[in-house]
Amino acid sequence: MTTVFGIPLGLIQAQAFNGLQQGMLLALISAGLTIIYGALGVLNLAHGALYVVGAYAGYLTYAQTGSFLLAIPAAAAASLLAGFVMERLVVRFYYDRPDEDQILVTFGLGIILVEAVRAIFGGQSQNTPTPDWGQGASSLGFLMFPFPWYKIETIAISAALLLAFYLVLYKTKLGLVVRAGIEDAGMVNLLGINVYRIFLIVFGLGAMAAGLAGIINSPITAPTPDVGGRYLVLSFVVIVIGGVGSFPGAVLGGIVAGEIMTLTSLFNPSYSEVMLFAVMALILLLRPQGFFGQAGRA
Amino acid sequence: MMQGGPKSISRRTLLGTGAMLGVAAAGLRPAWSADESPIGTFPAGTQGDSVFFGLGCESTGPYSAQGGDMLKGYELAIKHLNENNGLITSITGASKPGILGKKVTYQNADTASNPNNAVQAFSRFISQNKAIMISGSVSSAVAIAAQKLGDREKVIYLAGISGSNETTGVDCQRYGFRACHFAYTAAAALAPVLAKELGTTRKVAYLVPDYTYGRTVLASMKKFTEAKGWKTVTEQLCPLGSTDYSSYLLNMMASGADTLVNICFGADAVNSTKQAAQFGALKQMKLVMPYAAPFFANEVGPDIMEGVYGTTEFWWTLEDHNDKAKQFVTEFNKAYNYKPEWGAHIAYLQTALYARAVEKAGTFRPVEVIKEYEKGEKIDTTIGEVYWRASDHQLVRPVYVIKGKAKKDMKSKDDYYDIVATVPGEQVMPPEGELGCKLGSYT
Amino acid sequence: MNRALPLAELGLAATLILAPFVLPHVAADIPMLSRILIWGFFGLGFSILFGFTGLLSLGQAVFFGAGGFVTAYLMIEQRWNVLLALLAGTVAAILLGLVIGYFTERRRGIYFAMITLAFGEMFSHLDLTTFAHYTGGENGLPGVPPPALFGWRADSELSMYSFIAVFFFVGYLIARRIVASPVGRILLAIRDNEGRVLATGNAVHLYKLCAFTVAAAYAGLAGGLLGMFQNYMPPDAFTFETSGQLLIQTVIGGASSLLGPLVGGAAWIYLRETLQHGFGLDTSWRLILGIVFVLLVSFLRQGIVGGVVRLFHRPPAPLDVDHDLTAAPNVLSPAARPASFGPPILQTEALGKRFGGLAANEDVNFAVAEFEVRGLIGPNGAGKSTFFRMLAGEMQPTSGRVLFRGKDVTGNGVCAMCQNGVAKSYQINQLFDRLSVRENLLIPTLAATRGRFRLDLLRSITADPAVERGVHDTLALVDLSHKADTPVNQLAYGEKRRLEIGLCLASNPKVLLLDEPLAGMSPSERVSTIQLLTRLREGRTMVIVEHDMEALFGFADRVTVLVEGKILVEGTPDEVRADKGVQTAYLGGVDHDLPAEAAA
Repeated sequence: MTTVFGIPLGLIQAQAFNGLQQGMLLALISAGLTIIYGALGVLNLAHGALYVVGAYAGYLTYAQTGSFLLAIPAAAAASLLAGFVMERLVVRFYYDRPDEDQILVTFGLGIILVEAVRAIFGGQSQNTPTPDWGQGASSLGFLMFPFPWYKIETIAISAALLLAFYLVLYKTKLGLVVRAGIEDAGMVNLLGINVYRIFLIVFGLGAMAAGLAGIINSPITAPTPDVGGRYLVLSFVVIVIGGVGSFPGAVLGGIVAGEIMTLTSLFNPSYSEVMLFAVMALILLLRPQGFFGQAGRA
Repeated sequence: MMQGGPKSISRRTLLGTGAMLGVAAAGLRPAWSADESPIGTFPAGTQGDSVFFGLGCESTGPYSAQGGDMLKGYELAIKHLNENNGLITSITGASKPGILGKKVTYQNADTASNPNNAVQAFSRFISQNKAIMISGSVSSAVAIAAQKLGDREKVIYLAGISGSNETTGVDCQRYGFRACHFAYTAAAALAPVLAKELGTTRKVAYLVPDYTYGRTVLASMKKFTEAKGWKTVTEQLCPLGSTDYSSYLLNMMASGADTLVNICFGADAVNSTKQAAQFGALKQMKLVMPYAAPFFANEVGPDIMEGVYGTTEFWWTLEDHNDKAKQFVTEFNKAYNYKPEWGAHIAYLQTALYARAVEKAGTFRPVEVIKEYEKGEKIDTTIGEVYWRASDHQLVRPVYVIKGKAKKDMKSKDDYYDIVATVPGEQVMPPEGELGCKLGSYT
Repeated sequence: MNRALPLAELGLAATLILAPFVLPHVAADIPMLSRILIWGFFGLGFSILFGFTGLLSLGQAVFFGAGGFVTAYLMIEQRWNVLLALLAGTVAAILLGLVIGYFTERRRGIYFAMITLAFGEMFSHLDLTTFAHYTGGENGLPGVPPPALFGWRADSELSMYSFIAVFFFVGYLIARRIVASPVGRILLAIRDNEGRVLATGNAVHLYKLCAFTVAAAYAGLAGGLLGMFQNYMPPDAFTFETSGQLLIQTVIGGASSLLGPLVGGAAWIYLRETLQHGFGLDTSWRLILGIVFVLLVSFLRQGIVGGVVRLFHRPPAPLDVDHDLTAAPNVLSPAARPASFGPPILQTEALGKRFGGLAANEDVNFAVAEFEVRGLIGPNGAGKSTFFRMLAGEMQPTSGRVLFRGKDVTGNGVCAMCQNGVAKSYQINQLFDRLSVRENLLIPTLAATRGRFRLDLLRSITADPAVERGVHDTLALVDLSHKADTPVNQLAYGEKRRLEIGLCLASNPKVLLLDEPLAGMSPSERVSTIQLLTRLREGRTMVIVEHDMEALFGFADRVTVLVEGKILVEGTPDEVRADKGVQTAYLGGVDHDLPAEAAA
């Protein structure tokens, strides 16, 4: 068996594949965070909470209807709605306020969402069983070990959602306006397009990305009210690596982050997350705009 | 030296006898003339017609389910005390409702398994409510911090669920008592059963949450399984609060291990086990939960639990073997509509044993209560005969080795485990002093 | 200002002394007060970092934990004296602050927030694993002995409170000194306009590092106090919840006030206790407090203290009409301008700047002599701004060099250029909006007298007469002495422009680069500004970009014309005015006999 640094090649391959799966999920969450920042200039500290909202809405639907396929749009709808409400009621008054204020208010909103979930559902984890079409495992012909079918499917689902995101952003008129807004919101406004309605949509889309990630990940990691915090921090790392405000950056950054975590575990599992932070610190030192960000936005 | 005839009692003898009688009388002096000097919250907390228990069961955080169960155990015990219920009085020996005739009141603070919150909450219970006893929590970190606080404030702390060796090891306290089993005793009880059932030439992979509790359990498990001939092939230390264990599972599967010992607790245990099942890791490796958390089986489900070995402090099927256990399970089920998990049981047990010690000592004064504990008398309880070990304040009690039942063998929806061995406490306790316990002073 | 000082300190001292006797009657026991003071102390440093400098850190827990565990460990295991242990903990936090600050302070805004958050998570993890042997991992370090000094022991609630209160009071005094020091003034300006602080010759990143380290020091000492107060050093000192709680308390109380975190801490801790135990809202208290927080951020952003201050604040005096209009015109008979000038003081050699395919400037050989007034004109898009920015050091050229007194200063950056003696005044005002006129002028004056960085944290701003004099003189020069204490956002536009020039002047530069000083001015304002510039030109070199050629031509010694990134012609105003090429460039051809080369 071929080994690299004493580790069997097959295991490296398996971990790389694993990293891809985790990375795609991170990419989805981070894409939402990055477009909200890019277009609105708001660093949404409630992003983890929106993940939780989606996870719980999905779980509730799943528990009531038994259908995971119904749970997914339910999660999307719930987090979209939460995003809309947040933006309309609070966030939109903050666009002209300094960065710090925006961070503070989304931080507070995040607390409110999480505590509301906790008050309604309690603090224990909610068991979300793997859907039937995700049972079992397969080595797909090339992996050293069988990989759970559900995880393989999440790669596909995440990719599909990211593709849908991409199509909306790059192939529709709405997406064009959003991307223009990311470049220069003031200009878009001056051109007569109601940029504030665009902001609402972007915030909703970003929230929806987080909520979808929440339900998709629920069979793997049982949702608790506090589970979102970790994903919030990880998505920060991802958007720093990929470039803040950049959609392709979020995708690439997510996959890179996933790979860093899983490949580090081959050597020292305990440091898999710390390694990610170390990489983030390095990027902030050497190339602060990340892979795809624009220099000068730092 | 005899002066005078046989019929005359020498003055020396008289004095000597008198002295001996005096000493004897002193030794036999009745409880009511015990030292009444104030210490801790005594006698301030016992002035009225009630005494206060300060509880720290978590209602939020990763162990909130276990904490909720534990709180119910306390509530049931306190209710039984106040109603002079037969079950609890069979342990405490009380004749009147309450403890020494005083009603028990209590309050619970949500520590969220956070030792800092616990210290604050318990401090407040002591200073404001004059709590005569503090208890509870699902976290060893809380137990260690709380019993240190209790030691400083001179208020007895009774640990809830605490699996770390340190609680009655290097961090033991004169004012702290632990009744549940823990890493050392769990491993000592489990290893022989595993060796017998699974063989002695197994290759073990450990999934260890990377914090003190996890590392303690790992050390104890390695000690006992390696002594039986098992080989440790990999230790995967995962950061606390990991959500995705796939990397560690892959590494374990690649290591060629045939046994997976999962040391995670609470929600982490559920996540990691479910993910292991998804990976099919459990087909390749036999799962062992050396310190099975309450509700683990419920959350993970019988399909995964089948054939899984572990240890637990209490399981409701003990009702078939022990009258007191039967009573406990029945009363609990009646009150709360589910069969108690071991968090509830340990809460009940600790409360009952405390009440007993107070009744026997005849006073709430902690020094005397502690000395009553340290007498180490054998007590008949819901888990049979137990006694306290004076040198480290650890209850010597049986450890139950359990094995998950196949779904088809389950007779009711809660019938997750078979108790395959009841290992007597003496067989598994660490030798005195081995864990480094040095108790402090009484005052 | 000085009158207010003893009042605040006396008030604080009185509150600290009376609190443990009065407040317990309203359901706040002494341990709660001690805890509030510890958080208040933690917040003293944080308000300097966040409230005064504007740097939102989400990772202060790192220093709180580090200082706390070092102190606790030394007191438990090594039995150190309490003061030494606290000192060691604070030093540890300071060192850590320097290291982490080095990584973080180069960014601001969200990047700064994110990286501090990431460091916080990293250290939380390290505390549980790598350093668990020293910190007890998730168990923490129980058994921190109460402070004992020269026979006195803090063995009661009141004595522990007194110990902490003394630290808080001293810490507050020091924090006040820091805020009133030159460093403190610069930090305040950084919050408003970091770029201008740099352009006036202050090494901004060093000051930010300073603020970060000060916050770390306070955090470390607070952590040490927590351990001995609780008799236990908890691992959650490192968690994000701790950083978050500090942030929430600071915002609730008011970030821009040193006592804000104390007030906010009192509110938060008191409310938490009351909601949890008074109303039995065991789990939903956080929800309620979260809502309170969002409401406060939305409607009372300055926090409780800020709101109270605003309530008692005198309404500002009615806006003075810019009285320059009525001032007697001070037409200086211009001193005779020298017929010729000496060697160049500022020059460029083949300076060029390309943006991708576009050459904004190409092969510009420019030289201005000392004491010369040079005008720089050109049609829109000629590359004037780009050139000007390269002169000032704001932008790196892609080719060529910039020389100051013959020394190559290409790419040295605005701070170094300013310290060298080249200062720029901006077309769009770059002022410190929340500060007063005097405070604005202080910033460049401090850089001029103290150099790019000095760690004079405890020095009073009034201690240096050179600074006072410098500000006073500049105020007089730009005729804003009567408005010295007016906040900038209440000035008229013309006054702001004068202040803008004043900021440039206060650096005591040898070369002033003035970017459209007359932009946006009314005719009368133009006149007075020209008079101002005329007063200023003695003994100074000026390069002025302007569109108002009337004004410029009457004022400049020589004029350079830039067209399409290159110098077209240089000469006296008369020469330039008559030049056909210039006319063509501006007007696209005046006469029908166009010179061939201007047809482009």
